[in-house]
Amino acid sequence: MTMEFAGKTAIAGIGATEFSKNSERSTLRLAIECAEAAIRDAGLEPNQIDGMVNFTVEDNPEIEVARNLGIKQLTHFSRIHHSGGAACGTIHQAAMAVHSGACNYCLVFRAFNERSETRFGIGVQDRPATANSADVDFGWSSPFGLLTPASWVAMFARRYMHEYGATSEDFGRVAVADRKHAATNPEAFFYERPITLKEHQESRWIVKPLHLLDCCQESDGGQAFVVTTLERAKDLAQPPAVIASAAMGSGEDQQMMKSYYRDEITGIPEMGIVAQQLWRDTGLCADDIQTAVIYDHFTPLVLPQLEEFGFCKPGEGKDFVKDGNIELGGRLPINPNGGQLGEAYIHGMNGIAEGVRQVRGTSVNQVPDAENVLVTAGTAVPTSALILNRGNA
Amino acid sequence: MSEAKAAPDCSADSQQDAQRKAALLEELRSAIGQTTGAPLPARDAVNQAMIRHWSDAMTDFNPCYIDPDFAAKSIHGEVVAPPAMLNAWTMAGLHPPASLQGRGVDTYAKLDAAGYTSVVATNSEHDYVRYLKLGETLHHSTKLTEVSEEKATALGTGHFVTTVTEYTNDAGEVVGAMTFRILKFRPGTGRMAASAESAAPAKPRPIRPKPGISRDTGFFWDGIAQGELRIQKCDCGALHHPPMVRCPKCGTYDLGWIVASGRGKVYSHVEPVHPKIPSFDYPLIVGLIELEEGTRLLSNVIDIEDEFVEIGMDVELAIQECNGVELPVFRPARPARREDTLHFEDVAVGDRMAPCPIPITPTLIVSTAIASRDYQDVHHDRDLAIKRGSPDIFMNILTSSGLSSRYATDWAGPEAVLKNLRIRLGVPNYPYDTMTMYGEVADKGAVTNGRGPVTLKIRGTNRMGHHLTGSIDLELPSNAA
Ligand SMILES: [Zn+2]
Repeated sequence: MTMEFAGKTAIAGIGATEFSKNSERSTLRLAIECAEAAIRDAGLEPNQIDGMVNFTVEDNPEIEVARNLGIKQLTHFSRIHHSGGAACGTIHQAAMAVHSGACNYCLVFRAFNERSETRFGIGVQDRPATANSADVDFGWSSPFGLLTPASWVAMFARRYMHEYGATSEDFGRVAVADRKHAATNPEAFFYERPITLKEHQESRWIVKPLHLLDCCQESDGGQAFVVTTLERAKDLAQPPAVIASAAMGSGEDQQMMKSYYRDEITGIPEMGIVAQQLWRDTGLCADDIQTAVIYDHFTPLVLPQLEEFGFCKPGEGKDFVKDGNIELGGRLPINPNGGQLGEAYIHGMNGIAEGVRQVRGTSVNQVPDAENVLVTAGTAVPTSALILNRGNA
Repeated sequence: MSEAKAAPDCSADSQQDAQRKAALLEELRSAIGQTTGAPLPARDAVNQAMIRHWSDAMTDFNPCYIDPDFAAKSIHGEVVAPPAMLNAWTMAGLHPPASLQGRGVDTYAKLDAAGYTSVVATNSEHDYVRYLKLGETLHHSTKLTEVSEEKATALGTGHFVTTVTEYTNDAGEVVGAMTFRILKFRPGTGRMAASAESAAPAKPRPIRPKPGISRDTGFFWDGIAQGELRIQKCDCGALHHPPMVRCPKCGTYDLGWIVASGRGKVYSHVEPVHPKIPSFDYPLIVGLIELEEGTRLLSNVIDIEDEFVEIGMDVELAIQECNGVELPVFRPARPARREDTLHFEDVAVGDRMAPCPIPITPTLIVSTAIASRDYQDVHHDRDLAIKRGSPDIFMNILTSSGLSSRYATDWAGPEAVLKNLRIRLGVPNYPYDTMTMYGEVADKGAVTNGRGPVTLKIRGTNRMGHHLTGSIDLELPSNAA
């Protein structure tokens, strides 16, 4: 079994707002601005869009976006659940939609004022205590003060450190690489502001064992894409970023951010499910990937992602990230845009845009001969990933 | 220079007061160096019944104190009294005979008369020449060594009084000594008394997030309300947490539950530092607990400092109210009492003793006070304790010593021999708090006669701060022996 859309669909346009701590405009405005930019980037007119995919946690209704863009008819619209885990899943969904004929040009977007309005980092203590399934789920953690994404991830990180001997410095190397790359990306919030490992170690505690500099930013901004068939994409303004494959995954005994009840909690089984699909559909392996955007809401979970994709063996992520191996010029430069620690936290969508730029050869931190680019989505939740390339042509 | 005739530094009243205080201090200090006279005998010889009460109350089950067979084969050759009981033997008791009355240090009576009626012990330093054996009668004589200036303390304004007591046996052989310091203070004059009053109309605090409860998970929270931790169990044997509606192993919807033993181990743990949520007390430790039945449970690890929490650490269930919500939480299990004795060569400077939480119950405070023959009302009578300016009864210093001794020999083994035990008290141990003992090997000396000296630094910390800090010198057998 392979996914039929694999290699036959493409990202034809990308568009974003600026990334900031205070956009000073509504999220709807951000959504419309980035959507229009992506549509224009593809060389299309807004009313050519006939499909739309976004996150279930997206505040902007697709009908409101359609109304503002002057879209006359939508023949497909759908949403993907599980927060940042949805990122590559939206592209997966759009690819299926255009490949099946449900729509021709599918707009994918995510826009929020995640810093100036609705901050994810402040915790879920105000959730109601209802019998609703999600509230019941939070009831196993919130009364004990495990309320923030950082704290949910820290629980995995501590166990990973214990089992594999990884240290806070090993996590810090991810932050250092991200900030090094952001320092040369003018679109990054932390442009020209690299950090040292020492600064990482000295940054204040957020949730022990996580320092401030293990945590991604909180950002305002929007990022959008146009997905269409490869055939159609070839006639558009940009060289197509071919979706070599995209996949989603949820594992056994999966929980939302807190899959603490599995036999082992040091791996990311759902990302393993995604990786197997990608390798199966593309015939590629880890050695064929020149650069990757690895979802980095918190540094510790970058290491097991590298393990799940086979860049190294389980527990060896701490060795893989050493010696500049994940920096530009290393074996696998990750997050050339600066990632979500360095560029911005747009729920993983800005990472997909960087993947497109690497394939087009237009990144400010271009990896030479970037033929196949891996992009992953949020971890500790049901997740997704994709591989982009220039296709067989 | 007309200003020279300005108002005097203090009023006539306060001048008089200062003179009165100076006179009192001079009178008190005139007794320094005096002893209570010829050594006074204890009311009872060292006996197994009192030792057993002490052992029960302190839960110090060192077999050298209570098991004649073990003791006979031990370094002591027979049952010995817990060393920290040293001054318990010579306490006067609740209704001492006339022959034992009026023979104490009269400094205390003079301070009572001057209005410094409240008392709290602050330092106890025991030196043990040797352990006491059943049937020995202890004699003691006490010497006043120091009276401090009047000092303003958190408890109140008063004087620190230091005495040194020498303990001898029937033959006049010195077997131990104690330096003891107490604070005699005027009730109601301290910061703690003031804050207890002003804190009365406490601001309502936000309560912790309550759990969402469904038809499928109600059994768990019903269990918590009844003081038990329930784990969902299927007839096929599978245990599930979080609870399910259908057993994925066998397919049944008919799921029951078992009551967990409450024993488990820390599987992972974090300490949320930022942001601080108003409905929680920080520091806060969230632990993922692996129950001995096999399922895991997210919870809090309480009564321990973060840097001492370790993956694999044994913990025990405590169901209690946490900022307005009844929850299952876990505290480190009391470390098992060591049955054999550590050898001198087994320990190194810097070794940590496993932390030991001691829940402070009213029963602990009262039973240990009585077992140490301390009938001060503040250790057993809540109403009188409050009248004296304390929020509740509190632990007596003999118990603080006894629990320190227990901590040392539970860690080192029954034949570790204490040479001294010095503690200094800070905040009181009130009921419903927990004191957690921490300790480490601070020093090692040279082996002589097959025994090597080791110095432990210890502290006991409760929710308000350090209850005690101190040190213990003990001897361990050497491999070289
Ligand atoms: Zn079953």
